[in-house]
Amino acid sequence: MLNYILRRIAQSALVLLIVVFVTFSLPYFQTNGILAPAYAVLGTHATPHNLAIWAHQNGMDQPFLVRFWHYLTQLIFHFNLGHSYKQNMSVMGVIALYVPRTLWLALSALILTLIISLPLGIIQASRRNTVFDYTATGTAFILYAMPSFLLCMLALDAFSFHTLHLPSSPPSGVAPWAIFTDPVGFILPVGCLTLLSVAGVSRFMRGTILETLVQDYVRTAKAKGCSSRRVLFRHAFRNALGPIITILGLYVPSLFGGALIIESVFNYGGLGIQTVFAATNSDVPIVLGITLLVAIFTLAGNLLADIALGLVNPRIRIEGNSR
Amino acid sequence: MTEQISPEILHETIDRLPTSREIHPAVPKTEDEIIPLWRQRLTIFSHNKLAVASVIFLFIVTASCYLVPWLHPTNQTNQAATFGIPWNQSPSWAHPLGTDSSGFDELGRIFYGGEYSLTLGFLSGFITIVIGTVYGMISGFMAGFTDTVMMRILDAFLSIPYLFLLITLISIFGRSTAFLIGIIGFSLWWGNARIIRGDALLIRNLEYSQAATAMGAGKMHIIRRHVFPNSISNIVTVATFSVADAILFLSALGFLGLGIQTPQTDWGTMLQAGSVQIQNGYWWEVFPLATIFILVVVSINYIGDALRDAFEVRLIER
Repeated sequence: MLNYILRRIAQSALVLLIVVFVTFSLPYFQTNGILAPAYAVLGTHATPHNLAIWAHQNGMDQPFLVRFWHYLTQLIFHFNLGHSYKQNMSVMGVIALYVPRTLWLALSALILTLIISLPLGIIQASRRNTVFDYTATGTAFILYAMPSFLLCMLALDAFSFHTLHLPSSPPSGVAPWAIFTDPVGFILPVGCLTLLSVAGVSRFMRGTILETLVQDYVRTAKAKGCSSRRVLFRHAFRNALGPIITILGLYVPSLFGGALIIESVFNYGGLGIQTVFAATNSDVPIVLGITLLVAIFTLAGNLLADIALGLVNPRIRIEGNSR
Repeated sequence: MTEQISPEILHETIDRLPTSREIHPAVPKTEDEIIPLWRQRLTIFSHNKLAVASVIFLFIVTASCYLVPWLHPTNQTNQAATFGIPWNQSPSWAHPLGTDSSGFDELGRIFYGGEYSLTLGFLSGFITIVIGTVYGMISGFMAGFTDTVMMRILDAFLSIPYLFLLITLISIFGRSTAFLIGIIGFSLWWGNARIIRGDALLIRNLEYSQAATAMGAGKMHIIRRHVFPNSISNIVTVATFSVADAILFLSALGFLGLGIQTPQTDWGTMLQAGSVQIQNGYWWEVFPLATIFILVVVSINYIGDALRDAFEVRLIER
């Protein structure tokens, strides 16, 4: 198992290196090349002299590989991702400020998704083709087909303006753990993000349970006289856990993507809003830093999913050992 | 002691069991009638009533999005010409779905925006499937070191959320319509490539591919005659879902203000502009379009599901 984990970590490091390389070389394709941010910082009337000075100050006059090497060593040995062009902050400062907020948002939505969609999927699978199943599947299908911002806007209109009068925006200017001190403000954003991911996960859960229900071991268990509840939870659910864990690991990026829309709708200063702002203002270091960070989160999620998979499924564990 | 069953009874029992011909109506009834594969698939598909309804609905929406702005043009781009037309006007005979917050006719605008949304959706969906198939086929078929390298590159791009990648690429390349198609296509193909690669890897190791290799078939021949035809079901299904995804991602971009540039518009941009107005009670700017949008995406997804069933080999008798 340890061997397997180490190998996976090495692979993830390689993948991260590719991410850094790709994101680092992307700005070279801009219309003004790598100097495009200079126009954003100095204004469109900047003279060539000004541009040259700015380029020199930011090390833009050096060749690609030198810059890349510099970026990489700064990142690995000093945890330094550079300085924002637009905000008077280091990229690490921006990340430290905004990541916890998005993380709390995404994490609470993930936990709620699990709590809701796992039982929902099991009930749907065990009561296949009943009114309940059709209603739940139909709702999931519609939620899945709906632009996420539209759901948020409708929720805002219904529960903030007309009934209940929930806050339309979570508290932004306070500590990141405001979700515990002022949970009312988070009901709408977390609720919307949860609803959006429940649509996908519960549909997947239903399918996976249905697939395990036709397996031979389930028939054996039934033939031995197990109650249908026992069959469902001890045999079908346990074996369906594997694919669910994998899909949860793969769900991390879409959770961040969803958080981006949610943050924009509910005006919650987090990673998503920062990305949109930085990308539209050619604040390259921020975009690079955030992309790298999200990639790290995703890879960590996949890694954790694989390790958890090994823990719940003995077959994988043994296979990993023998390698 | 187990009771011995006489062979006659056994044969009788077997004869009475329903054959696959009786289980599925698409399977030919008589022995000597040979129905081409594509017609069997079409029959299975057409037995799914909802899928047929989806196809008809999608066809009507697509046709009217392309034809209506041409047959019955309404002013959708010239802000100066809207002078005198009240903004946010409720539905009337002159404007069946009212006007939007700039005085443009809402019904005409749904068709006008749909032209862009659907064109971009179909074209970028097509791009994702072409790149995804080529990449996945090569990676899965080569296996070994090439496969590992290609898959790690895929992992790298899959670890960046699609929306982040889209925004970054748009901020770099701008958002003219042609670039948008390319950018959406380029951002969404990674998942497809992984699915198709899995297929290619599986088929490559099956007996008939190995037999072909043993008989001296070249790599290109095996890809063309064995790997590609046998993974076509996944390719078609994935392509359908890609179109739905592309339309959805375009709408998300429209919401962020990164969609089609004004004066042109797309459904996402329209929904964003309209959803701001729901609080004022201007329902006609959101709900008709939202219904059409959701139905279009649902029906595309449903067609994908039905296609997967139609390609299910177990239902087809050769």
